[in-house]
Amino acid sequence: MEEEIEEESTLKAERKVKKAAQILFFRRHRIPGVKGWELKKALGDNYMDVIGVLNSALDKLGMEVKRITEEGEEKTEHGRFMIVLKNHLVEKASGERIDDVAMLSATLAYIISKQGKAPRKAIENFLTDKFPKHRIFFALDRYIKQGYLGEDDKALYIGWRTRAEVDRKSLLDLILAS
Amino acid sequence: MKPDELFRLINFCETIQKEGTDPFDLDVKKFLETLKHYHKKWKRLDDLLLDAEAISELTKIIELQGKWIRDRSSSFYIDPILMELKLKMLEPVQLANAFIKSWHPIISMDRITTKRLKEGLDYWNALLPFSERKEEFPLPSTSETFTFDVEDLIDLNILSRAEFEDSIKAVLNDLEERGRIEYHEFIYDDEFESSVEKAYLTSYLVSEGKAELDIDALEEEVFISPSNAPANTGDVRSIPISLSYEDWLRWKRK
Repeated sequence: MEEEIEEESTLKAERKVKKAAQILFFRRHRIPGVKGWELKKALGDNYMDVIGVLNSALDKLGMEVKRITEEGEEKTEHGRFMIVLKNHLVEKASGERIDDVAMLSATLAYIISKQGKAPRKAIENFLTDKFPKHRIFFALDRYIKQGYLGEDDKALYIGWRTRAEVDRKSLLDLILAS
Repeated sequence: MKPDELFRLINFCETIQKEGTDPFDLDVKKFLETLKHYHKKWKRLDDLLLDAEAISELTKIIELQGKWIRDRSSSFYIDPILMELKLKMLEPVQLANAFIKSWHPIISMDRITTKRLKEGLDYWNALLPFSERKEEFPLPSTSETFTFDVEDLIDLNILSRAEFEDSIKAVLNDLEERGRIEYHEFIYDDEFESSVEKAYLTSYLVSEGKAELDIDALEEEVFISPSNAPANTGDVRSIPISLSYEDWLRWKRK
């Protein structure tokens, strides 16, 4: 009898981990990932334990569940959970041109050094040192659309996608060490 | 009392927020002393509103000062000038490599499930035809427009009947003197305004049968000549003829 109960409990836990993986891998909203309260609703109050088990499974594949929060969001339920690659890529994994990636890299480093926000005009002027103006305008708009940057009243700031995907400390260290 | 000093301080606060300059450039203590100094003199509602705006801007700067300290003490802090110099020195490839090495892309997939397809089909079935949903997409409202004809202008005393008839007669005399002539050649005058006026009066001559239009479709030319035909009573046909300032300029330069 005890064995049966234990088996049932294990099956239930496995079902929850599978459900969590499906929720996190497949896109449900415009922005990938789901809010903590959505996981709680789908997996129950112990959803953080389920995420812990999923994380151990993903770790073997070089992935992890990451929680990103907006400023002032303290509660776990308010954060957004998404799956990211744990280690940096060794092969090319983006169709972006090398100079577009360079522009994004320089823009992010510039904004981070300005405490996370800088006037768009200043960034454009800074980039014109190495890139043609017409390409800069399109590139910045594209990064905003992709979520790497945010725009507010003619100022650019770090977007949700950069917070999820980019190890900002590592980016600054690598640039300074180059 | 001159609140110019307060306006300057409010502007300075706004500049710090917009430009992202050092929030500690503002002396908070001095700002508060200035507000205290003015506080006793406030009498009108506008004074109090200005005082409230100044306090509001000051709180934003204090918030920025707090953030500035947090940023400086965080591991992300780096001298912006040093970073700018470093970024300018690096080649695009080096910058791209630094990004790729610190990049952990999100893994996410889009997939249409059978359930979602069924939902889409149900939505389609429940959707009324576009012709029946026009209220959901109303046309932009336009103000009702009115036209003024000559009778209205005469009623409003903007134009007198005698004056109008004299003008028509003058145009008719001109046409009779010149005979059959290309339409634009006839109506274009030294001034563009008088050309438009002549075109307007000429349209009356044509409507009343005192002038006749002859259109050469092949050459895309319109000729006008005097006529004694009766005024339009039966089928009315409109003939649009363009009249543009650029065309008039070209004619004048000839």
